[in-house]
Amino acid sequence: MDQRPVSAAPQKGPPSWKLAPPHDTLTQGMVVSGFVSLPTGRALFLEFAWDGVQKKDGGAWLKAVQDVAPITDADGKDARAAGIGLTWEGMRKMGLDASTLASFDRPFKEGMFQEDRLRRLGDRREDEWLSTVIPGGPKWSGNTPTDDKWCGMADAHAFDDLEKVVETQVKTPITVHALLLLYEKDEETAEAWCRTVGDALAPHQVKIVHGLPLDLRPDPRGIAREHFGFADGVSQPAPFESKVVTVRDGSDYPKDYWNGVPLGEVLMGHENGHHEIALGPVVATSEAGAKAGLLPHPRGEGFLDLGLDGSYMVVRELKQDVAAFWNSMDAASARINRRDPEHSGHITADWIASRVIGRDLDGNLLCPNSKTGVLPVDKYDQPDNDFLFYDRDKLGHGCPLGSHVRRGNPRDGLAPKPSDKQTLLDAANNHRILRRGRKYGPDILDKRVDDGKERGLLFICLNTDITRQFEFVQQTWMLNPNFAFLYDEVDPLLGPKGMLTIPEKPLRRIIEVDTFVQMAGGEYFFLPSMPAIRYLASL
Amino acid sequence: MRQTTLSVALEVKPESYDHLSSLLDKLREKRSADPSGGTGPFADFLTRVPAVHFMSLSVYPGFDYDPLFVIEANFDGAPGPFWGQLESAIGPELRSMLRCCKRPLDNDGPLFDSIAAPDARAPIAPYLERRSLTPTVFHHGNRGMTRDRILAEHKLFEATRVELRCANHEGPNPYRVLTPRQIHAKLRAAVHPDFAWLDQPPPTRIPLAENIGDWVRLISFIVAAVFVLSIPGLFLSLAMPWERYLILLVVVFIGIAMLLKRIGVALPGTEIATKFSFLKFFFSQLVPLLLFVAGYLVVAVAIGTPLSMLATARNFDAAWHGMVTWLLWGLAGAPVVIAGIVLWLRVIERRDASQDAPPVDPVMLREMARREDWIPQNHMGSLVLIKPGILRMILIRAGHRLLGLVLRIQARSGYLGSMRTIHFAHWAMVNNKSRLMFFSNFDQTWESYLDDFIEKAHAGLTLAWCCGVGFPPTRFLVKDGASHGRQFKEWARHSMTVSRFWYSAYKDLTAEQIERNFRIAIGLRKRTLSDKDAALWINDL
Repeated sequence: MDQRPVSAAPQKGPPSWKLAPPHDTLTQGMVVSGFVSLPTGRALFLEFAWDGVQKKDGGAWLKAVQDVAPITDADGKDARAAGIGLTWEGMRKMGLDASTLASFDRPFKEGMFQEDRLRRLGDRREDEWLSTVIPGGPKWSGNTPTDDKWCGMADAHAFDDLEKVVETQVKTPITVHALLLLYEKDEETAEAWCRTVGDALAPHQVKIVHGLPLDLRPDPRGIAREHFGFADGVSQPAPFESKVVTVRDGSDYPKDYWNGVPLGEVLMGHENGHHEIALGPVVATSEAGAKAGLLPHPRGEGFLDLGLDGSYMVVRELKQDVAAFWNSMDAASARINRRDPEHSGHITADWIASRVIGRDLDGNLLCPNSKTGVLPVDKYDQPDNDFLFYDRDKLGHGCPLGSHVRRGNPRDGLAPKPSDKQTLLDAANNHRILRRGRKYGPDILDKRVDDGKERGLLFICLNTDITRQFEFVQQTWMLNPNFAFLYDEVDPLLGPKGMLTIPEKPLRRIIEVDTFVQMAGGEYFFLPSMPAIRYLASL
Repeated sequence: MRQTTLSVALEVKPESYDHLSSLLDKLREKRSADPSGGTGPFADFLTRVPAVHFMSLSVYPGFDYDPLFVIEANFDGAPGPFWGQLESAIGPELRSMLRCCKRPLDNDGPLFDSIAAPDARAPIAPYLERRSLTPTVFHHGNRGMTRDRILAEHKLFEATRVELRCANHEGPNPYRVLTPRQIHAKLRAAVHPDFAWLDQPPPTRIPLAENIGDWVRLISFIVAAVFVLSIPGLFLSLAMPWERYLILLVVVFIGIAMLLKRIGVALPGTEIATKFSFLKFFFSQLVPLLLFVAGYLVVAVAIGTPLSMLATARNFDAAWHGMVTWLLWGLAGAPVVIAGIVLWLRVIERRDASQDAPPVDPVMLREMARREDWIPQNHMGSLVLIKPGILRMILIRAGHRLLGLVLRIQARSGYLGSMRTIHFAHWAMVNNKSRLMFFSNFDQTWESYLDDFIEKAHAGLTLAWCCGVGFPPTRFLVKDGASHGRQFKEWARHSMTVSRFWYSAYKDLTAEQIERNFRIAIGLRKRTLSDKDAALWINDL
């Protein structure tokens, strides 16, 4: 179990965190691990092809999955691994009762493609998909139905002449009701496993409507790169909770000063960063629930806790255009060389690309006043992640204020004065997400020539409060045109064509960057705990 | 120039609630039609109401009272001209909205008839002015910046960006080989022809008279408060020998302190660790506090001595001496009085009912979401019932008054704690002071705005809002409270209404950007800068 799952091999990093019993057998393995030892993966997007809501045996397909691809728990390493997430509409079709469905969090119930949410996430505005979405609109989503009682308004009443606004249902060609993630040692076994799973699902009218081959191949130093060539997943939140999150010898995993978050930020039913128990769904007490191992809900008499040790999984398929990225970097460096022939000898495409990301290709943070221009590696020979911005680089002369890593986690960098540093660091850590994404598609041969092949990142992150965590990061940090006192520029990596300010002495440079990353599909999934999976399978 | 923040709250005929809402929606849709000046939505509004910064029109549904129609306005200068401009811009629309409101039962009834009767033509401005509420607390993020100045300085900012990007377009950029000082000079020369106002001295943001006024009001309030708190001591010290008085004070104080120690801890499950500490706060404010107390003594002696000479026919020396002694005895009682109030407050707080899961209407929520996050700014309006009881009534009025006066001094830079995200915000009491209304025009999203408060300024927010019915459990007016993140957010959402019509005169500008433009403009107004100043100034470009 590794704390920095995507890039750091377990033996190389600092002491890693794990869950203590009984939570280790109650939680899905992908919460604590990125399965680094299993480099091949598959994302299978499932649609329930039956009509309407299943009255009984709605969970039969899940039982079938459990037979051929048992979902991995968090109590240790397995030879192969699987994880599963379900959409709101998927669980409705499985026959989960209405009051349980109503107990989920608002963003999950509405789905990622609710029209106001799409505007906030920077995908769609006034019925038009934006340039950060693949042409023609995304391929897949949960196609969550709009709730009639919201758009039709409840009951007619006297003296009412208010115009009713009907909400637009945003639809994608492919409907996804569940996401099954498989992790294996090699391609061949993975392919065979997928066939077995497909065969097991077919009798239950569950179709694999979309699939992505996932890939995680760390180099000998433990660094995994995304398609543009940068080390990925370097910074992760480190959950803590006394007696629940431990290190190998069973003692408490200490609170990490830079990246520590209460466990409730990742798992429902635990205390979160806002000093409350992270809310999860509930189900009325029943024999099936008790048999599945669901525990009584701490507040709702007569209800079982369906959420405990579960999470919400945000998934976005992000298509990357590698050639466009590097050609844009070339164009930007050429322009600077032309416009500033005297002082731009050091500016190359790599230099600009590092400023877009905020780290160099190996994942080391850019910093000012350093001989190498980056933060030295830590004692485990890994990119150092234990740093703050305010004292080191307040104005962004090393790591630009608008760079991807700084927008992704500003740490204490937004503090207006030294006495606010701690407050701002604590505040920033209330908006962290645990990333579990992997890249898909083949590596490109020449990164400046488009080969027409599909490649990108299947962005996956876990959080318990989608609004305060994932959506906040996307809206208030990534796509905020006024982030860190900047004006009219958004994240240079994820955002549409626009500007990036690179602070420099004596005068900042502003470069133009293109659109390189486009969303091809996305949805919010419920990542059920092991007992919750058993309960859903019993429907 | 001074900015004014006010609101007008009018009771709505319940039968007209939906109709009024639809009138607001229609006005919102009309905003983009026929732009007679500038371009884009609201363009005509911008030219026809040149004083306005932010304005909202909303209706609160009636749960505890009949629905309430509220006009919230933040503008330059005095109310008179603003209402005039507004009437000439949307007079007919406003009149039909006012017709949805109830006729006031007090003396304003005839005035209302004169504007709301079917064929009425009398101007509505006097009625609105008459029904205006003064905020109990207000905050301005960019104090002293008139709307036209904000717009002009932003135009200047954009001109500097174009110049720095496009100078000598085909060849090398001339700015890249200059020192900061030379960059300033060249940039000034380049933009100067289009911005002749750079030669004029910048208008003072806070004129001297306003500055003095702020201080006088704050000092008077505190001096008066010290006097009120020492009244019990003044009387008691007259009624008993000083030794007994002293013993009484000490005994009562120790008794209260022991009780407070017992009930001062948080109720089970409601405590939230905070960095705020009363002791630390007390010691950090000790010097100003002592100064205020000394000020009080001076004022009270100056007023009291002649009165005492008049009443007792003592000579000056005796009167002066007696007065000082008496006032000091009174002051000695003040800590005991304060401790007593705190004890009383804590007893009430422990019995307060907080609402763990305030019901949020999904229809309202959807209507709010539909209107939020179109531009970098957002708007919220909230209305809550005020908790009952005489102590609450005194605390909320005195507390808001003090908070308002302190903000005028402390928050001049626009910062509340570590954030500067508010353009205009205010609190006001409505329905005969039984409900508290809050309006804010802020940067970023509603979620981030509330998270900012929860994470960075929970003490101040709790102080201002904990008098609301159902507010999360609070200790000593400032602790816990808003730190209960999700519970607090649900409570706030539950109290909000849809901002059906909302207008911002500079929709792309955050409060931070306005200050950045201001700093750039200040630099460019100067003909030359020293190398050191220029190097600092250049960071904002």
